[in-house]
Amino acid sequence: MDANFYDFLDRMRNPASLDLVRSIKSFIVSISFYAANPENDAKRVQDFFSTMEAAIMEHPLWEAATAQEIDSAMEGLEKYVMTKLFSRTFSSSPEDAKMDLQISEKIQLLQAFLKPEHLDIPPLLCNEASWLLAEKELLKINAFKSPREKLLCIVNCCKVINNLLLNASMSENRVLAGADDFLPLLIFVTIKASSPLCHFADHSNLRTLLSANPPQLHSNLRFIQLYRRQAKLVSEAAYYFTNLVSTKSFLLDLNAKSLSMDEIVFEENMKAARQKNKLTPKEPLSASEAMKSSQDHKYQVPSEKMQDKETSGSNYPYMEAEAGDLTVRDVEILLSTYKDVVAKYTNLSRAVRRHPFSKTEIPVSSVEGTSDTLSQLEGTGAPSLPGG
Amino acid sequence: MGCSSSLPDRSSGRLVGPNSENGGAPDSKNLRVKLVLLGDSGVGKSCIVLRFVRGQFDPTSKVTVGASFLSQTIALQDSTTVKFEIWDTAGQERYAALAPLYYRGAAVAVVVYDITSPESFSKAQYWVKELQKHGSPDIVMALVGNKADLHEKREVSVQEGIDYAEKNGMFFIETSAKTADNINQLFEEIAKRLPRPTAQ
Repeated sequence: MDANFYDFLDRMRNPASLDLVRSIKSFIVSISFYAANPENDAKRVQDFFSTMEAAIMEHPLWEAATAQEIDSAMEGLEKYVMTKLFSRTFSSSPEDAKMDLQISEKIQLLQAFLKPEHLDIPPLLCNEASWLLAEKELLKINAFKSPREKLLCIVNCCKVINNLLLNASMSENRVLAGADDFLPLLIFVTIKASSPLCHFADHSNLRTLLSANPPQLHSNLRFIQLYRRQAKLVSEAAYYFTNLVSTKSFLLDLNAKSLSMDEIVFEENMKAARQKNKLTPKEPLSASEAMKSSQDHKYQVPSEKMQDKETSGSNYPYMEAEAGDLTVRDVEILLSTYKDVVAKYTNLSRAVRRHPFSKTEIPVSSVEGTSDTLSQLEGTGAPSLPGG
Repeated sequence: MGCSSSLPDRSSGRLVGPNSENGGAPDSKNLRVKLVLLGDSGVGKSCIVLRFVRGQFDPTSKVTVGASFLSQTIALQDSTTVKFEIWDTAGQERYAALAPLYYRGAAVAVVVYDITSPESFSKAQYWVKELQKHGSPDIVMALVGNKADLHEKREVSVQEGIDYAEKNGMFFIETSAKTADNINQLFEEIAKRLPRPTAQ
């Protein structure tokens, strides 16, 4: 799927691109010197993309390159940089996590009773097979770390809905109603896709995992908005992106007046859904279960495929988890993992202190301050920067 | 109601690839314009656009036809081209609060009503006020009375449309998506009114 990225990596291995490699690495290191802040980080990243675009256009390796080739290189660069900075930039603030949780809770309540007719979706457009396809496209969003690929998941989901509408207008002679039909379908698909109880036709483990991960709607949208190269968040992609932003906003503010449903009935349904959620904590699909089953079946969470195994902390099942995924049942595993990490860290520090090389060691305070930097450098798997 | 149901050729608007079906950054000769469509549901917003997009028979022009996002390029007499990227919005009342997400950054807003529906005309006036308050200050606005073929059911007079548009500095036209009357004129007139960027 990602020829751009491999081509980019190939070119970066060429000795002639050493200057670019250095700029990229020093950028990735330098950003960790600043306190993480989404707006500032985004500005730095976007400025860096512009600078690099200019540098690549001037670069001998891209001499006589077409606009398309330059663009491919930039796509590769975006993916590389954002994969490296992912843990720093994705859903990094407590507000993001809170918002994700708020949306996912709201959606969970709505799932209990919302039907297509409550959004005036005509029966003709109730096509389970198409919806399922659209849901699957949307759910893939958490399997990717680059803004481009995440955005592509949204676009693909919307195109499935689009095709459903175009087909209905062709075969059923339904007048195309544009956004009047499109937005309600996207809202409905988003609700269904976020369902922890969403049943897929084939009960493969991967599907279960995907549906067990709430799409973190807010965090994904914010990440794309901030870090997708600005020149690429335009036109059709921007339109579909905006529709999902609308969906999020609609769901957050949704009340009795937002639906074709009696207000009293709405309140009763919400109340019943709240009670049901309290009584039955989302049983079989809590984060811990999902993680366990992923290990039992030697199945990888899709997003893990994309990162270096060494740095992904695959022995620590919660490395990919978000606060919203956790349930009370996870506490036990978290605690034992925590004890394990502390024990290892204590032994390691003791060993380092005893070791004759300890004199060259960096003072503890600065080790803490630069731990991100170090792991990022290791993570790159390429030679470190000269002179650190 | 009348969009014809034949389907246009679909070109998959690929995300990948340079910014540019129109060859890179827009310049003063080749404008790329975000146009947002506002209006009550059922006034025929999408029919107008489909008519416009299908009506251009230049086989070389790249067209993107989705159910709610469409793009079409037209050539003007002064040898400039304008690529319209048309953003449809859901007209149902329950989505009204979302409109600012769509018209943000739009260069053109086309506000559509149905000449047989006074309610849709009041809704159009609501959108105009919204745009004046929250749209970008140099947005080009057009007021469109659609379904002009339904004379016998007319409830909003031409004069009412003209007066309202004039008072609000808008361009006014009545169209029929069914007969294609005035559809091209609408977009050509918008293209003429666009502010030209000064060359960088």
